[in-house]
Amino acid sequence: MKFTKQIVGAAVALGLMSAAVSAETIAIITPSHDNPFFKAEADGAQAQAEALGYDTMVLVHDDDANKQSELFDTVIAAGVSAIILDNAGADASVAAVQKAKDAGIPSFLIDREITATGVAVSQIVSNNYQGAQLGAEEFVSLMGEEGNYVELLGKESDTNAGIRSQGYHDVIDQFPDMKMVAQQTANWSQTEAFSVMESILQANPDIKGVISGNDTMAMGAWAALEAAGRTDVIVVGFDGSNDVRDSILAGGIKATVLQPAYEQAQLAVSQADQYLKTGSTGLDEKQLMDCVLINGDNAGSLETFALN
Amino acid sequence: MNKLLLMILAVVAVLGLSGCKIVYDEDKDTTAIPDGPEGDDARNAQRIADTFDSQLLPLIRDKALPVAELRAAVTADLDAAGEANANRGSGRGAAWNFPVSGTGTVIEAKLDSRARALSLDTDNDGAADLTLQLGPVIRGTALRDAAPFYDFDEFRDQIEFAKLSRALNDRIPDLVTVPEGDLIGTSVSFIGVVPLKKADEKMMVTPIEVTFGS
Repeated sequence: MKFTKQIVGAAVALGLMSAAVSAETIAIITPSHDNPFFKAEADGAQAQAEALGYDTMVLVHDDDANKQSELFDTVIAAGVSAIILDNAGADASVAAVQKAKDAGIPSFLIDREITATGVAVSQIVSNNYQGAQLGAEEFVSLMGEEGNYVELLGKESDTNAGIRSQGYHDVIDQFPDMKMVAQQTANWSQTEAFSVMESILQANPDIKGVISGNDTMAMGAWAALEAAGRTDVIVVGFDGSNDVRDSILAGGIKATVLQPAYEQAQLAVSQADQYLKTGSTGLDEKQLMDCVLINGDNAGSLETFALN
Repeated sequence: MNKLLLMILAVVAVLGLSGCKIVYDEDKDTTAIPDGPEGDDARNAQRIADTFDSQLLPLIRDKALPVAELRAAVTADLDAAGEANANRGSGRGAAWNFPVSGTGTVIEAKLDSRARALSLDTDNDGAADLTLQLGPVIRGTALRDAAPFYDFDEFRDQIEFAKLSRALNDRIPDLVTVPEGDLIGTSVSFIGVVPLKKADEKMMVTPIEVTFGS
């Protein structure tokens, strides 16, 4: 180690800058950073990679599997050492990750699973189902185990929308006095959730709670409820965004579920580092990462998808 | 579909009765049970038939630490106690799941709920120090995560893995009978699993056996 440093030092001294700075590079590929969740993920990975002495290439695939495939070609050609990926489709991404593996480049997946094992080195995924169960348990408890409620669903094409809905119902449906009077998609969108909530309220003024597949829809629903003077309605979201944190602290939305996106990305980079140095992560390929319930008790400690 | 399930159950029953060890057979499995989500329940039913009575319950009974001993061990060193006595749930942030046994006095009883629970005093200081879940709705994944033989890598995805936990929890109401009437002040013995992420976390036990005394 000392010897290497001396060589690098000597190289710098000799002015061979290009040789000295050609540090190993880690590619970080995620969906669009427009969603703060993916931004937090990319930031977490980048910070950890740089802390460990790697260069980084940060890229977005915009949930387009073809674009993702092209990005893989790019980073393979660039000769990166490892790839951190939040993928663009559970089935479609297998081929891309295999392509990298064939080129001798290990991939470390975060947030979303792919449908094959043995292709990526690690798959570290948020336990969306466990998180949804936590949110639903809190929701049921806030509702006093009874009453009419509404469920806002995420985008149908996103597997996490279905996973969360199933997790919610796995818990809620065990309480026979909880009655779902409307279940509608708002496609993860705040504005769509606002208008969906408005029309649901007109048809079902007697609702007591709203459980939402993510935080942006929870924010839209809460705005509609506030506009209608219905701040008595219990709203629970999912993701752990700063917007919902602020609403919880102001007495609006009651709870959400944190996906530790920042820490997850850092963990993936640490495992990549370990793998590059020793040839093994020493861990199972598929690793679940537990979500954490956020309510009035701990919302104050939440910042950018991490509990401090 | 129902016929197919019945056939599978019949085969399982026959093999079970003949005392054969049921070995997970991948070739047979792909023809008998669909690979996708529609096969989740059948695969989990098979897992439970293979393991619940023969492995899971004995594991919890055999490894159960008396609650006072457990409390001392986790206070001294949670991870060391976990390595020695517990199984960790899959992945980061997951709790150690300790088999535990004990006796306590009922301080509080929440029975007007689908998720019934008793608050017990197990160290005779007059204050509740442990929650015992009585169902029928059982929270958490303690039973599944207490067992090293349910390996997340062997599951199709997190939904199938979660469904196993739910199916295991659904067995609890059959194992636990709650007597009528006021339970405050009565003595209760239990064997179960407690998940702990922190040494000072309040214990919530998912029981496999509950005995109501005097």
